[in-house]
Amino acid sequence: MLSETRLQPDPLREDTYSFLPVWRRLGLQLVILSAALLLIVLLGVFLQPRLDAQLGRLLSLTTAAMPVVLWLYASVLPEYRVARPRRRLIGVAAVSALTASAIGLPLVQEFFRVQEWLPLQSVFARILGYTLTAGAVDAGLKFAVLRYLIYPQSLRVRGDAIAYAFAGAVGYSGFMNIALIWQLEPTWDTAAIYLLANLTIQLASSLFIALGIVESYFSDAYPLVLPINVLAAALSTGLITALVGGFMSGPLSTAGNTDRPLFAFALLLAAIILTLAAVYFLYSNSERREREAYSSQWN
Amino acid sequence: MEFETGRSPAIQLTPRQRWAIAITYGLIVLGLALGVNLRDGSLNLASDYRNLEAGISAKYPARWLLEESGPFIFRVRDMAYRGFNTLIEVSAAPVGSDTTERNLLDQLTLQRSQVLIDYSVLGYEDYRLADGSAAISMSYSFVSRDSNPFLEGVSSIVYGLDILTIRRGQALIVAFRADAAIYLRELDTLRWFVQNLEF
Repeated sequence: MLSETRLQPDPLREDTYSFLPVWRRLGLQLVILSAALLLIVLLGVFLQPRLDAQLGRLLSLTTAAMPVVLWLYASVLPEYRVARPRRRLIGVAAVSALTASAIGLPLVQEFFRVQEWLPLQSVFARILGYTLTAGAVDAGLKFAVLRYLIYPQSLRVRGDAIAYAFAGAVGYSGFMNIALIWQLEPTWDTAAIYLLANLTIQLASSLFIALGIVESYFSDAYPLVLPINVLAAALSTGLITALVGGFMSGPLSTAGNTDRPLFAFALLLAAIILTLAAVYFLYSNSERREREAYSSQWN
Repeated sequence: MEFETGRSPAIQLTPRQRWAIAITYGLIVLGLALGVNLRDGSLNLASDYRNLEAGISAKYPARWLLEESGPFIFRVRDMAYRGFNTLIEVSAAPVGSDTTERNLLDQLTLQRSQVLIDYSVLGYEDYRLADGSAAISMSYSFVSRDSNPFLEGVSSIVYGLDILTIRRGQALIVAFRADAAIYLRELDTLRWFVQNLEF
């Protein structure tokens, strides 16, 4: 009986290295990016360099390109060294950036005009408002991109959904970052906070969408699992967007009002860690259940 | 470690997966509809203004700032807009029996050309108020620049529209100004304001 089992192809061992592992690379990129952005913020807080407007914008734009360059180096290039690469990573990132440019940003800024009425509301109203406007728009667009580009034709392992969702987040937040620097012309250290905020918001939202796709496609979960995850994606956008503004601005006093970039940075780091931990836990749990199901089938 | 399920790329979606996708799209559409409702509720929320001394009552957007001290009866401004704050200003002036609306508008033009940068009149039109009475409107443009010359910033082009009517020996002027980029959109606010204006 034992020898028969050994003669069977073992799905647990087969193709282990033919797909690029996704979580470690994702985590590493976030650590490098957070460290680099923290350095810029600390530079701004403690040294307060006075930069020429042109130089400041150039540095901010260079910093905005950092997540994309890092992602290309750490996630896209290594794909071409494995047996079964994820071929649509650049396509997903590019189409996500284009949808952000053509639909996402105009819809949020020109149609919903969130900047005119949401910042003045209470925290709860802000969370609800951002969830139903920016959150719904972003999650809807990113889900549509993944649905039509990779779901189900490019999904072979669970990691595919995470890798493509990360590509979508990098593309979407990449365009938002450039647009933000162009429109608001923030100082270099403030731009670093905005960049991390955009990346965190889009990554959290994308990971929840990916989790929904993983559960729906690989576990054939109940039909409500995917929409609940997309709802969680929209809610994460609403929650982080509403809270980061409050953490960034200091309390009003007779001496005026000062920014607290380190508070905002800490909130964003906590949001990244919590989201990654929650999604990874649910992802691993789902993978473990399927692995157990396969093991019992082969034994 | 990645774990392959052995699914073929050509695999068909199961009915559960199809339902999940349909419900997701439905949920997104529902969320956006609620978002539109929330936006309309906030943007269209109105406050009442009443001035018994001047005999004026009006409604204005609740999120706009009301001011009553200055050479006007009252004015409201949209302080949330990052560029030139859209404003509606209501003022009154006594007029003689032989003064026409056009005389008053010309007088305004002379005054403004002294204080506003590149002020130019774009045209005059007849205007019909909500109660059916006749008024005259004058559209114009000027350049708005920050009053502090040391602040670095780009000037913006502002469009304006004055609506003037003479009643009971006094002229009532409703002045509306908005950034050229959002002028057409904000014109709806002016129409709504004039429709609810009683004097």
